Amino acid sequence: MQSLALYVGFGLVTASILCIGAVGFTLQFGISNLFNLAFGATMTAAAFVAYIGNAHGLNIWVSLVLGTLAASLLSFLLNRGIYLPFRRRATSRFTMIMVTLGVGIILQFGIEAIWGGDDFSYNMSTGSSVHIAGMLFTTTQLTVIGIAVVATTAVHVLLRYTRLGKAMRAVAVNERLARNCGISVKAVVDSTWLLSGALCGLAGIVLVMDVQVLNAGSGDDLFVLIIAAAVLGGIGSASGAIAGAVVIGVVAEVAAGFINPEFKDISAFIILAAMLLLRPTGLFSSVATAKEVAR
Amino acid sequence: MSGAWQFYVATLVIYGFVYIIAASGLNLQFGVTGVYNFAFIIFQAAGAYCTAVLTLGPSSANGGFQHYILGLHLPFPLPLLVSALVAGVLGVGLGALTVRRLRADYLAIVMLVISLIATGVVTDYQGLFNGAAGLALIPQPFVSVTTSLVVYDWLYAAYAGVVCLLVLVAVRVLIESPLGRSLRAVRENENAAAALGKNVTALRLLVFGVGGAIAGISGSVLVAFAQAWSPSSWLYAETFVLFTALIVGGVGSNLGPVIGAVIVPVVLAEGSRYLPQFGPPTLVPSLEWITIGVVLLVFLWFWPRGILPERKHTFLPASPARPLTPQPTRGLVGKNLDGEGGPGR
Repeated sequence: MQSLALYVGFGLVTASILCIGAVGFTLQFGISNLFNLAFGATMTAAAFVAYIGNAHGLNIWVSLVLGTLAASLLSFLLNRGIYLPFRRRATSRFTMIMVTLGVGIILQFGIEAIWGGDDFSYNMSTGSSVHIAGMLFTTTQLTVIGIAVVATTAVHVLLRYTRLGKAMRAVAVNERLARNCGISVKAVVDSTWLLSGALCGLAGIVLVMDVQVLNAGSGDDLFVLIIAAAVLGGIGSASGAIAGAVVIGVVAEVAAGFINPEFKDISAFIILAAMLLLRPTGLFSSVATAKEVAR
Repeated sequence: MSGAWQFYVATLVIYGFVYIIAASGLNLQFGVTGVYNFAFIIFQAAGAYCTAVLTLGPSSANGGFQHYILGLHLPFPLPLLVSALVAGVLGVGLGALTVRRLRADYLAIVMLVISLIATGVVTDYQGLFNGAAGLALIPQPFVSVTTSLVVYDWLYAAYAGVVCLLVLVAVRVLIESPLGRSLRAVRENENAAAALGKNVTALRLLVFGVGGAIAGISGSVLVAFAQAWSPSSWLYAETFVLFTALIVGGVGSNLGPVIGAVIVPVVLAEGSRYLPQFGPPTLVPSLEWITIGVVLLVFLWFWPRGILPERKHTFLPASPARPLTPQPTRGLVGKNLDGEGGPGR
């Protein structure tokens, strides 16, 4: 069982990264009723901004803050500049998917046009290895887990105990009713895109800190698992996104390491397929049900 | 024309036919029935892989440098037919995952994730279709007819053209039939179609199957010409290209997929061939993708119904007893692809 613990440990690191991203993705959907498929490319963009800072001699943690802020601003601008104008024209939901995907493709290949297909990495030390209960982490990985815990706790506190958070939850469940109660939906939507954009950027940067490789496709590879985690947990639900991230992250790593590397993608597929057949609204389905994602 | 030029043009023509076949299959699903199958490309891949392993000899041939299942070495028309069948069955199977009716955009991202995971699975499983390296040296049909490369290419282009024509006619017949009307009813309003006694789930599974089979045919025609197929041939972005082709050409119309397939994948993607080489090797392909993305956004903003919008289906009596007041054409068709209400829903 020694090695099982080892792979659970790897899974926890993956789950932490997924967690940050999935909470951001699910918040965007919850409040804006929109699947932002440019999310993966935004993660990559943030990681590259952090790379620029880092390559110009900035400390990695300063670069991390810089990249996170850049992603926050980029997400906000994408929503204000492109998504909202399309939605004001009563663009259908499917067409919005094409819009966000188109933006994602432009972003991703814009990055590739600048940096090419090469691999980059941050100038940082991975730290020493630490053994905890049969699991093996580098100090960087422990920091990543710590960041995930702090970030998701902060989101939880925000949603549960602040006025803004309550307004966000109200808009997520019933936008019209929230508006009629005097909540400024516009302000709520703007702050959501700033917040979820920051989470998106953070996820992209800690991903690169963990795997030590950055290229134009970095964010997209993780984005698949982020969507799977958010859908599994119940799209729109922050706690669901955390649960989904832990399940997908740990199961994928354990299946890959403990059974066979070939099972990594298969296990994610089986979980998702089973969920779609049995409970298409996901584990925590309150927002998903309110938005009628499945009947 | 010189030999090299003829070779190039013939290759473009073949790719054009393949894209037209695929786009008309997607049009049946997305344009006519309103099924948002963002995993469309995996059915083309299924057809291509199927044809490959059916025409290749046993896996141990050629020094066993590639590993794959089957290796039956079947003669020409069989792999094409079996590929269509396999892709169609796979289509029904994946469609069955979505029998719980999902919201349009939710279905789209779920299918997108399935497409990406499928790429991962085929890449991981070395023994299935030779993993990331993919299959190569796939035998071409009717090579015994001629020894000239150029003549062979034009011969193959003619074959692809015939297949393409058959598919277009079949899709046209299906769309204009009473069954096609039912499919459009499902697109416009599922509940109303169900209330009229249409089995919505069965109709959706049917187009998942037929559309999948058409995609399989396109993959089969493509792979028997290209002779190689790997996970990088069917990235999810290829599905995006086909959807863009439909939106540019005209969603749901008969000739829209043809025009769209010629403009987007063939002209836009091949247009960069005439740009002078500049910058690093990834620059020109990247600009190509950016162009496709920008073209999509521009069309969605300015011409959301495409170059050839779907003709409004009207049912006029043969000799009208009373004059019919023409209805404004902004009704059911085209504008709102989900058949949904206004914003904020």
